[in-house]
Amino acid sequence: MSRVVVAGRNPQDVSSAIGFAKMIADASGSSVVAVALSGGDELGRAVAGIASEAYAISGSGHAPELMLEALGRVAGPDLYAVVSPALKDLTDALARFSAGAGIPMLTEVTEFARGAGGEVTLRRAAMAGRAVAEYSVVPPFAATVAPGRFPAPQPSGTIEVRRLDVGARGPEVLGVEPKRREGVDISSADIVVGVGRGFRSKEDLSLAFRLAELLGAAVGCSRPIAADYGWLPEDRWIGISAKKIRPKLYIALGISGAPQHMAGAMDSKLIVAVNKDKNAPIFQYADYGVIGDLYQVVPALIRRLEELRR
Amino acid sequence: MRIAALVKVAMDPNLMKVEPSGEVSLRQTAMAIAEYDRNAVQAALDLRDKLGGQVAALSASTWGMSSERRKDYEAALREALAMGVDEAHMVLDDSLTGVPLDTARALAALARSLGGFDVYIASEGSSDMVSGQVAPMLAAILGLPAFTYVKRIEPEGGSLRLTRDLEDALETLRASPPLVMSVTGESSKPRLPTLMQIRRAFSKPLKFYSLADLGVSPSGRARRTALRALVQKRKNVYIDGSKPDEAASKLIAALAEEGVIRA
Repeated sequence: MSRVVVAGRNPQDVSSAIGFAKMIADASGSSVVAVALSGGDELGRAVAGIASEAYAISGSGHAPELMLEALGRVAGPDLYAVVSPALKDLTDALARFSAGAGIPMLTEVTEFARGAGGEVTLRRAAMAGRAVAEYSVVPPFAATVAPGRFPAPQPSGTIEVRRLDVGARGPEVLGVEPKRREGVDISSADIVVGVGRGFRSKEDLSLAFRLAELLGAAVGCSRPIAADYGWLPEDRWIGISAKKIRPKLYIALGISGAPQHMAGAMDSKLIVAVNKDKNAPIFQYADYGVIGDLYQVVPALIRRLEELRR
Repeated sequence: MRIAALVKVAMDPNLMKVEPSGEVSLRQTAMAIAEYDRNAVQAALDLRDKLGGQVAALSASTWGMSSERRKDYEAALREALAMGVDEAHMVLDDSLTGVPLDTARALAALARSLGGFDVYIASEGSSDMVSGQVAPMLAAILGLPAFTYVKRIEPEGGSLRLTRDLEDALETLRASPPLVMSVTGESSKPRLPTLMQIRRAFSKPLKFYSLADLGVSPSGRARRTALRALVQKRKNVYIDGSKPDEAASKLIAALAEEGVIRA
């Protein structure tokens, strides 16, 4: 029987992509094999009834190389697909595994369909969410998916988790510094107010927070605000390499509309942009575009909402 | 030190043109060096400035149109040369259709034909496709270690101290060339070339290769079959913000009408 391997750093990662793995397995008559770098018994509980084999990796060193080695050991000759959530260490490991094995890989796949003659059709977003690329692929293949994009079946029953020792792997790790987090989940907010480079200082962001408060919205931001200036933590960063949002209303303040940002906001039902540059690309993507200075428009919005809420 | 900067000539999503068929126009959409690949070039130049040596830009086409758009490919590579790269080499072949495995194999063959490099620097992903896998794939094909999503590069004796920017942590590693790395958009500040540099770029070596020249062919395991533009469903209603209070009332009324806010 052919195999669909689903890989994660931990059982949560595996759960976030196992729906995709199961769909591919069902379409191709394959079994699901789960592999995680941590969480033995927990992995069993997460995949029981869905996967037919589960491996908890032990070893020391660096995540991508440990996963790369593990994939090499569990893939086997009947590999149909290797999938994982689209996370950095896993994308890295899957890409190295694929190239080493000479199999094609696509990241952030949104659709899978089995075609005639054993080929499969995979689709993914391209051009910052403005286009869809379609590929015809001969299995085996590798693919990553946005975590949770394909709903996972409920686990049931039990499964034996096998230990797989892969030894010491990867370069010398000199240090790991966890990132500051606020625990805000902008990806599930109904309304998001986004802030960009149009804000002149960190203090001025209070305008956006006040507007968000009046609307019951979460505050997100573009890349420079989180990554360059560090005015907001990265869990508020909207973009292709950060959080993707799908609110019913997205209000982008002082955001120019770089492709990387828009790709993270394309699924918003309604987009409002406030920008003083009438040529800013964001206006192409906006349902309502206010051409004006956010330092005047946002206070006016706040005043109007306060009036209405009174 | 021999340094390779991997440069993709990418289509600009903001200047996307669409054919009557609904396909993205490979013929007309503006092309340039992918945004973060400028960071890869700058990182390569910064490393050369610290450690000495040469920087070559390596590229492989992913959008075909090798004869129709040769000038555009050349212009993009000239830009890398103007930034300070010493020479540029590109695999320009219509049988490359942007399948990352094939792109990585073409780049590996190109690198080998040039005698190999000590450090290969790519970006974390291209602005048009954001596949984010060519750097680790290249490493696997060349049998080199890979360091992805690098935000900071610090030479330290004969090795490099690299900081990877992950979802939940910054991770610092010791790395010894030869190696492949991909860098993030924060890893460097790409410098705009001066007029003098732009002039000088025209006398620097720039070579094109076909897959046959390098003795490789696509894997045949995958091909891009379509690139369909999504129909823009946005309303594009403009509100003049020069009278802020009027604009605010209009916008709030419109959003209430849409049913997305309570007013």
